[in-house]
Parts: sequence; structure tokens; C-alpha cells
Amino acid sequence: MSASIHSRRGILKLGLAAGVAAAAPVALGGRIAPAARAQEQVTLRFFHKWPEPEQIAFYQGVIDAFQAENPNIKVQMDAVGDEPYKDKIRILMASGDVPDIYFSWAGEFAWKFARAGRALDLTSAFNDTDWKDNVVNSATEPYMWDGKLFGIPMRINAKFMAYSKAKFDELGLSAPTTWDEFLAVCGAMKESGLTPISFGNQFPWASSHYVGDFNAKLVANDVRMADYRLEADADALFIDPNYVEALSRFKSLNDEGYFNNSPNGISHDQARTAFIAGRSGMIYLELEEFVNLAESPMGQDGFGFFQFPSGTGGAGDQKLITGAPDGFMISSATKYPEEAIAFLKYLTLPKNGKEYVKQLGIPSASVGAVTEENAIPQVVEGVNQIAAASGLALWLDTDMNTKVVEAYLPGFQALLTGSKDPQGVMDDVHNAAVEAQTDQSDQ
Amino acid sequence: MVSRMGRRTNLAPYLFLLPAVVLMLVFVYIPVIESFRFSLFKWNSFSPEWTWVGLGNYRKLLPDPIFWQSIGNNIWYAIISVAIQVFLALMLAALLESHAVGRRLSTFFRTSLFLPAVLAITIVGVTWQMLYRPDTGLINQVLHVVGLDSWTRAWLGEERTAIFSVIAVSQWQSLGYLMVLLIVAIRAVPRELYEAARIDGAGIWRQFRDVTVPGVRETTLVLVIITVVGAFKVFDVVWVMTAGGPNHASEVLGTFLYRTAFRDDEMGYASAIATMLFFITFALAAVQLWAGRSGKDA
Repeated sequence: MSASIHSRRGILKLGLAAGVAAAAPVALGGRIAPAARAQEQVTLRFFHKWPEPEQIAFYQGVIDAFQAENPNIKVQMDAVGDEPYKDKIRILMASGDVPDIYFSWAGEFAWKFARAGRALDLTSAFNDTDWKDNVVNSATEPYMWDGKLFGIPMRINAKFMAYSKAKFDELGLSAPTTWDEFLAVCGAMKESGLTPISFGNQFPWASSHYVGDFNAKLVANDVRMADYRLEADADALFIDPNYVEALSRFKSLNDEGYFNNSPNGISHDQARTAFIAGRSGMIYLELEEFVNLAESPMGQDGFGFFQFPSGTGGAGDQKLITGAPDGFMISSATKYPEEAIAFLKYLTLPKNGKEYVKQLGIPSASVGAVTEENAIPQVVEGVNQIAAASGLALWLDTDMNTKVVEAYLPGFQALLTGSKDPQGVMDDVHNAAVEAQTDQSDQ
Repeated sequence: MVSRMGRRTNLAPYLFLLPAVVLMLVFVYIPVIESFRFSLFKWNSFSPEWTWVGLGNYRKLLPDPIFWQSIGNNIWYAIISVAIQVFLALMLAALLESHAVGRRLSTFFRTSLFLPAVLAITIVGVTWQMLYRPDTGLINQVLHVVGLDSWTRAWLGEERTAIFSVIAVSQWQSLGYLMVLLIVAIRAVPRELYEAARIDGAGIWRQFRDVTVPGVRETTLVLVIITVVGAFKVFDVVWVMTAGGPNHASEVLGTFLYRTAFRDDEMGYASAIATMLFFITFALAAVQLWAGRSGKDA
């Protein structure tokens, strides 16, 4: 069987190479020397989703230091952007040409690799070692599957509502703590002729962050988890009326004119630019984007943030924050598990975590990495709020089966254009979930 | 006469063709057949086991509304592309080659219309995204300035306009390229025919209709085939500009296939879409070739 699968994969690789032009420009590792030599030259392939020059510079710095300490190991890095990564890692998995160390979102995205036996079990390497002391343990949870650890978090990210201090002062507003107060703030801004919220939904992951937050706070936690994990009975999947309420609240922000015109027509980056340019009062942002605001003309003192009070009165957990760790997994097919673990361990050392925060302004998942010295106050405060939260509600679009996601995402766009209503979207989601559940039990 | 020498020379062309044939086999024909075989299974990139479903993927595909939405969009793509990239391009080519437009001006128009064709598709896509932006985009601002506020819209963000906004970009990009090919074809038409037509009293329009059009018939036919097949295979510009959104409104078969394979991870279903796409383009090309040939025989 394995032989035939192998040849299938070989042919598939050709087919993919021909069909999807330049789909996976992952550098193939150097020639791997035959095994069984203590000091053999080892090349590890490391693939992630941060191709930005400043990110590459950070990782290359760590790699250089690691290679200096381990002269027999060479780390070959490759990176593509966030959106293409979702496709390319699947292509690599399908082709059997899996990098030794690869990025994975937490939650379902990672569990899928674990379920398929594509990720190395890191439990024993992590527990009872100093590694465990170096990494924020709560951030490892979304990488646990079936009681085992399959991924190591590199950084922690969460979503907050950022606001322009100038606009808030001008209108005499203060950070809202309930849904009604939030609506009142939006209303006051609209009244004054200011667009309350910049929102770009050309690529609909942007709405998935909103709806993920509404779901987490409006739907009872056990119901939500049973639905997200497809563990509920088939007829019960995603039928809780609070999902409809979640979409209704989201839609109401658009219907009331609290979002800019036509969110589907602009991208998230364009929305952020509009917010920085003072064309709106608020924007729903990731913690890692705070640095973009601080470095913009808006400046570090120009913005504040608050937790999105999306679910006041809801059946969900109001102390959840929408966000997730981002981290790495090791391929179960790697020829060099020890070396790969050594590299990942090195990457997540507190000293590298501190350097990460300092260079990139993004909270690292290494213990004690974010301090007043190396981060802006908003990031420090954000990290504190994450620590005080009851947990993270993971990104909706990486926390459920892709089939369900693919029913949800176009639905968000349809809600905004008015071509579907919340109930209609949830009907599609329910049907997709039933289908996905059947598929999962088939496998 | 039919000596050994003769036979050897007959073999040579085939030897020269061999590498190309082998490459085509490996990269085109075998994948096409394999793709059909893949479409008979239910599998994903992680699954160790493939489940035989026979024609199940096709039975699922035919009632799928996104499939029909995609085909509809591809048909729009084809119709508009043929009208603009072939027929409008032919008229422009004839105009630029006629005496109606001065030499220098003709060169200027030829170059400026051709220029978009040399730009990378991602650059074109991103640039047009900016032009289409609802708030600060040039298009809406121009409409605003000339008092056509009611015409402004979120071009890429509305279900009714998304696909046409993308199609328009393709026309802008490819019109000049096909026009240049047609100019070359027009130059190959013997000048005497035009002279004779002029002596017979034919005006510009009659010369176009009765000399240029029949003269470039073969080229036009090939361009129609390329354009139609291209319209059904289109992927990049749509993926860059809308990724098939909003709510699948600008989905074409290419993006539908890609999404199914690499987002939904349903490789079998995606292979079924690929097979359908292959048959559609194959059939279209066959029909057009046949239509072209029968016309010539007549």
C-alpha cells in the first residue's frame, strides 16, 4: 500500500507542479548524508509564514547563533505570506515533501496534522525539561491533541478594539465595557459625522475574528466546543440560536452604518491605513499590529484599546479573549527529530523571546519576554490582559474544520451585502458541519 | 528511390519531436489521465487511505450551485473577452494600419495599448484594487467629480459588479497584446488586394469587411480559441483581486478548483472539477477548430 501511495504522491507532485504554477517554491534541503554518524552534517528545513524582511532578519539571527553553537546542523529557512501559507503547507503535505519544522496555527489547523500522524509528539521532550519553564504554558494548550503536545508556541496574539485617543477626547467618549455602551460610542461617532469603525473584509478572515468573538461570548462554551470540534450530534451541530444572534450583532454594526462603506471592497490593511489617517474612530486589531500604529504618524500616544464587549448578557464566557498562540510543529517524518527539537528549543529561549519583542514589537510566548524595556506600554498591557483572561477563543477560521470555515466565510460577505440573513448563513454552516462530520467519521 | 537513405531522413523529424512529445506526455497527458483517476476517489492531502466513490464526485458536482455560478462567470468572461480582445482589437488594428491614422500617432497608440501586457498580473491586480476602492479609489472619485454619484459603488465588494470589474481588468491588460498580433496578421495581407479594392471604389469599411477580415481569418480563429480557452482557465487575476468573493460572486472554475483542493482539502472533488474543466475547454477548442475548417472547405 505504501508503495502505491508513494507513487501516487509522486505523480500528484508532478501534476501539482504543472497545474499550480510555482505553487511551492520551497527550497529543497541540501543532500542528506547517510545516517549513523555522531557528527554527521544535518540540514533542517524550516518553513514559516513571515516573509517580511524584519521577520526574516530576526529568524536568520537566531539561526546563525544556533548554527554557531551546533556546527553540524544547518537550518534552511523558507517563508511565504499568511494567505498562501494555508495552501502551500497542504501542497507540501500532499506531496510528502514536508519541511522538518513548520509553522502551524493553533487549534484545529494543528490538530489536523496531529490526527493524520504528520506531527511529532513533543510531550516527553517538553515536559520535565527546562523547555517547559521557558514557554508560557497556557499557550501550549491549543497545540495539545489527545493529551499530547504537538506544537510549541512562538508568540501570542489577540484581538482588541483600538481607538483614536484624539477622536475619543474630541467627542468626550470613554472606553465602553458593555455591548450597549459600545453601540452608544458608535452612535455618538456616527452622529458627529465620523465613521465609527474601519473594517476591511475583502478577504473574509477579517469578519471571522469578529464573529469568533461574538460566538465565544454569546454561545455557551460547552455547546460551542462541541460544535467546533464536530462532536455534537449531527442534527444539533451549530443550531444554537445564539449563533444567529452572534451574526445578527455583527450584521447590525454594518446595517447601522458603524462600519465604513462596503467593507467587502477593501482589505484589512487598507482599513488600518484609513484608521491611522483619522478617517475613523476605532478598528478591531491584533496585538501584533499595535506596533504598526505606534510607528505610524498616529504614534504611540495616539491610540488606546479595550476588550471588545461583544457579548454582554450572553451565555458564553465573557472573560475569553479572541486570539491564539502561533507556533511550530515538527514533521513526524523528519530524519532528525533530536536536531529539530534542539532548534525549536533554542528558538523559544527567553533571550530570543526578548529579542523577538524588541526587534518586532510582537509579544513572544517565551516566559518573561515582554517587558517595559522592550515593548510599548499598550503591548505590555495587552499581554497582561491576555494573562488575566479565562482563556483564548481561537481564530474562528483556524479553529474548525475547513469545510465549516468555507461555509462561514462567504456567508460573512453575504451578510454585509445583504444577500443572506443570519439564519441562512447558519443553515449553510450546519449543512457543511454535518458533511464534515460524516467525512471525519469515514476516515 | 525509396532507399535506406530516404528512410533515415524520414525518421529524423520524429526524433526531433520525441523530447517534446515525452515532455507533453509527462506534464500534460499523464496528469490529465491521472486527474481523472483521482476524481474517482474521496481523499485529501493528509489521508493515508483513498475511498473509491466512482462517479460520486461528479454526482455531487452537477447540483453544486457554486459550480454553475463559476461556469456562468467563465461564460461572461469568454463572451466579453472575445468581443473586446478579438473583435474590438481587430477593428483597432485595422484602424491603426489604415491611412486614417498617421504613422507616428499609430505607433503611439500601439505602444500605449500594448504596455499593460508586459506588467505582472499581481501588480495589475493590486493597482486595480486601489483604483476600485470604494472610498479613495480613482474610479469612484472621477464619477463623483463628474456628478455621477449614483454610479459609484464598491466595485469588487458587491456581488453584482465583482466579476465584471475583474473581467474589465483582463480586457485592459490583454487588448493591446492581441491587437499587435492582429496588426502582424493584417500586414501579411497582400497590399494589392487593398489597392484593387480601392480602385473598385471600396471605402474603409468595405476594405475592412471584404479584405482585412477574410485576410486575417485564420489568425482570428486561433485568437478566438486562445481567448475562449483562456477565459475558462482564468485564475490569477481573479484570485489576486477578489479570491472569488464576495460570497462566491466572482468565482470561476479556476478559483473554485483551487479553493476546493487547497482550502477545503477535497482533492478528489477538485480533481472532478479539473476533469470537467478539461472537457469544457477541450470541447470548445474542438468545436471552434471544426467550425473554422469546415468554413474553409466550403
